[in-house]
Amino acid sequence: MPKIEISYKDLCALVGKRIPLGELKENVLLQVKAEFEGAEKKGSDVRLRLSMADTNRPDLWSTEGIARVLRGHYGKGGMPRYTMKKSGVVVKTDLKVKKVRPYTVCAVVRGLKLTEEALAQSIQLQEKVAGTFGRGRRDVAIGIYDLSRIKSPIYFTAAKPDALSFVPLGFNDKLTLREILKQHQKGKEFGGLLAGASEYPVFVDSDDSVLSMPPVINSEHTGKVTTATRDVFIECSGFDLRRLKVALNVVALALADRGGQLESVDVFIEGKKLVAPDLEPKEAFVTLGYVNELSGLKLSAKELTSLLKKQQYDVQPKGASLRVTYVPYRQDIMHMRDVAEDAIIAYGLENLEPIMPKMPTRGSLLPMGRFTHRLEELLVGLGLQQFASYTLTNKHFLFDRMRVSHAPVAEIANAQSENWSCFRSWLLPSALEFLAANRHVDYPQKIFEVGDAVVLDESKDTKTRDVCKLVIAITDTSVSYEHIASLLDAFMKNLGLAYALKRSQHNSYIEGRTAEIIVGGASLGYIGEVHPEVLNNWGLEKPAVAMEIDAEKLFALMK
Amino acid sequence: MYRLTPEGKRYLEKGTPEVRLVAYVREKGPTDVKHIQREIEDVSVGLAWALRNKWVEMRGGDVTLVQMPEAYDVEDALRAVEKGKAPAALIQVLLKRNLIEDAKESMQTRARKSVRGDVGALTEELIKTGVWRDARLKPYNVEATGIMVYPGKRQPYFAFLRDVKQKLVELGFKEYAGPAVELEFWNFDALYQPQTHPARDWTSTYVMKSPVAGRLPDARIVSAVRTAHENGGKTGSTGWGYRWSEARAARLMPRAHDTAATPRLLVSGIDIPGKYFNVSRCYRPDVIDATHGVEFNQLGGIVADSNLNLRHLLGILKMFAVEIAGVERVKFVPSYFPFTEPSVEVIGYSDALGWVELGGAGIFRAELTEPLGISVPVIAWGMGIDRLAMFALDVKDIRYLFAQDLAWLRKRPVRGGI
Repeated sequence: MPKIEISYKDLCALVGKRIPLGELKENVLLQVKAEFEGAEKKGSDVRLRLSMADTNRPDLWSTEGIARVLRGHYGKGGMPRYTMKKSGVVVKTDLKVKKVRPYTVCAVVRGLKLTEEALAQSIQLQEKVAGTFGRGRRDVAIGIYDLSRIKSPIYFTAAKPDALSFVPLGFNDKLTLREILKQHQKGKEFGGLLAGASEYPVFVDSDDSVLSMPPVINSEHTGKVTTATRDVFIECSGFDLRRLKVALNVVALALADRGGQLESVDVFIEGKKLVAPDLEPKEAFVTLGYVNELSGLKLSAKELTSLLKKQQYDVQPKGASLRVTYVPYRQDIMHMRDVAEDAIIAYGLENLEPIMPKMPTRGSLLPMGRFTHRLEELLVGLGLQQFASYTLTNKHFLFDRMRVSHAPVAEIANAQSENWSCFRSWLLPSALEFLAANRHVDYPQKIFEVGDAVVLDESKDTKTRDVCKLVIAITDTSVSYEHIASLLDAFMKNLGLAYALKRSQHNSYIEGRTAEIIVGGASLGYIGEVHPEVLNNWGLEKPAVAMEIDAEKLFALMK
Repeated sequence: MYRLTPEGKRYLEKGTPEVRLVAYVREKGPTDVKHIQREIEDVSVGLAWALRNKWVEMRGGDVTLVQMPEAYDVEDALRAVEKGKAPAALIQVLLKRNLIEDAKESMQTRARKSVRGDVGALTEELIKTGVWRDARLKPYNVEATGIMVYPGKRQPYFAFLRDVKQKLVELGFKEYAGPAVELEFWNFDALYQPQTHPARDWTSTYVMKSPVAGRLPDARIVSAVRTAHENGGKTGSTGWGYRWSEARAARLMPRAHDTAATPRLLVSGIDIPGKYFNVSRCYRPDVIDATHGVEFNQLGGIVADSNLNLRHLLGILKMFAVEIAGVERVKFVPSYFPFTEPSVEVIGYSDALGWVELGGAGIFRAELTEPLGISVPVIAWGMGIDRLAMFALDVKDIRYLFAQDLAWLRKRPVRGGI
């Protein structure tokens, strides 16, 4: 969830009311699903750090957006209204961008007098919207420019990496598009999004001045917005018009809330004109019965209307329902449920009395879980210490250190660390890893784990299967096969199972001191003295004996 | 004729205490007596004889090797006695050390002999013959600590999870589970999480290198989920409004949250009314530190019944906060999950911890339940079980839940349960 920083003073000024800090933290911020993360005094102001829980509400990720909701909360509410003029600015989209970044929507805001704080908020909002809602600028990239330096019409086109150059933000010299990706920090960060493209998207104005190369970087000449900037041009580019429109509304309206005049831009995409931003209100219907059924409340139509207005809806009765209209950036409203939730939040969860549903149900554990509990009891009774380990590991531990050849396992593609890059297929490596971490602890060490491994299984829809296994390992100054064999004997006898040991061979165990554990003709696993080379591989200095069995096969045999 | 006493037999098998002691010191170097006592048996007897034989000496509290024995007379003599011979030179020593006894001696005589002076061990002979009546049983240092014993024990974190499961069963919840490697379909799509959701990105969840993709469930379910995403279908929703990709949904991933198991449960059919829970190992790429692991457990589940509403949801969350987290006061705050609406987070207060986040819940969206064939309200809930475990076990580092530290596991007292 996006984390933002806002100014307490700035927020109160935008709401038009001095909200006591305590009240803000305890209650008011809940209206925007903001989790309070901390506050620092800064002069006469307080910086508030917030974590915004609703990843589907980019309009809330700025002081302006939060203030807009709180104005509804404290004032008469209803849908916020904006007037929009025509800017006369035209953007023409070239067919060349179709493959690399097909869409853009744009807006103009005039007459701004931004404070440092307002400017910082705008930058933070762009970052969060493009970063989270736009998935790291992939779906949505945003640029804001000094309109006075741009000559309309503006062209959204694409150019070969070496064919065009401009001075990127923060630089003094012109670089080609290719050089920007290599040399500019933003180029390194976001250049991957253009990987494989033969031409890179650019905004160029009628003076052939490059505005930017989305989604990477703006130009130093036009893309630098300061407190002195009065009129701005905003563009959002990406792949999904619906999401781009939301992002444009969010960014442009935040500036309009700072006193700017919103103006439309005509965007031509494949010859078709699209007027942006789109502020046409959206509508939905909600019934009183539905809200009361969902909330467990007994609201009247009047109460519901007032709650919805607080949440920035215009409300009109329409037959048995209420027709609500709202600002179109609320793309999160998909169902009557979403409108109902807004009303409930305005009502306040703290005003809802919890009730415990009376439900005659019977609890139960999964049969395998009940069985492993029995196994664990028995193993504890045999004097073994249970240990816990991760199911993620690596092939080096699973195979190389165990002296066994590599076999296919369930592997992760984007592991951040090689240490946790695949699922374990057996548990003995986990046991030896544990012993290796405890070389200097009192001996003897007698340990066990009952836990899951993941094995490949074509017959399953997931092509894999979780298998519950049991591992026991004992290490001491002197320990031998008979120790583990007698433990196995006690274990099996106490489960009431007849078993046989069949001389066998396994590379992790010493030849001639390894057996397979057979029950009812089926092999449950291996038992033996751990091979000295395996001990060396793990840095173990004392002999160890071990056994591992398939607990699910065991369970099946006992049924 | 003589024969070996039980102690004599033992010495013959294992070596005399003095030889065992010398062997130990030779391997380990000078060692504190107390430490040796934890490692091998009969140390005080062995030390007395080894000192007398000048094999070892005490240097600053440590037993230190002087020289290895040149001969093993006592062992040789015991072996001789076992073979029916009587090595004259050592008979008295062996008798005195109670390693051999006169074969013709009656039990009575032996018992009588043993009660001359103070008696250490109360033997079977003394009890059977009644000679114990004449014996003066030497008082022991009963205030001394015995030798360290490490019992078999449960791993504390696993024991905590068991307790939680048991509690949930008592509260009427049924356990369910899903696979660790899961289809994106069940982990995300069936939970109405759009394929363009930030949480589905490469950096937020793991994806599989092999196997890469699995098999989607039957076409009816797939198509219902697809339309819910694309245009809402019959759910009364507009949907997310994008083109849903079957190939994306078929990709495999290590399960990223416990709720991945829930749509499978819903499709398989649930009891109504029904209460369910699962504890699942979940996987997410993260920088590993005191509060983050790439592998962790989540506890979650559902409650389904006709006429359930938000106030019931609050009631259930409160019950969990009280029964499982053990807090007295709770607060609810609005929250967001892509698959529930409304969504609520529960914060609990305890004197020890102050206000802490305990878990979240919500009512499953219609876009989720309708395609899976469920027509009653379903409350989905989850608790930050690893965090609760850290509180309960009083560990500050999440890695200690999977502690690789045997000494710590041995030291930890057994808990009373939740």
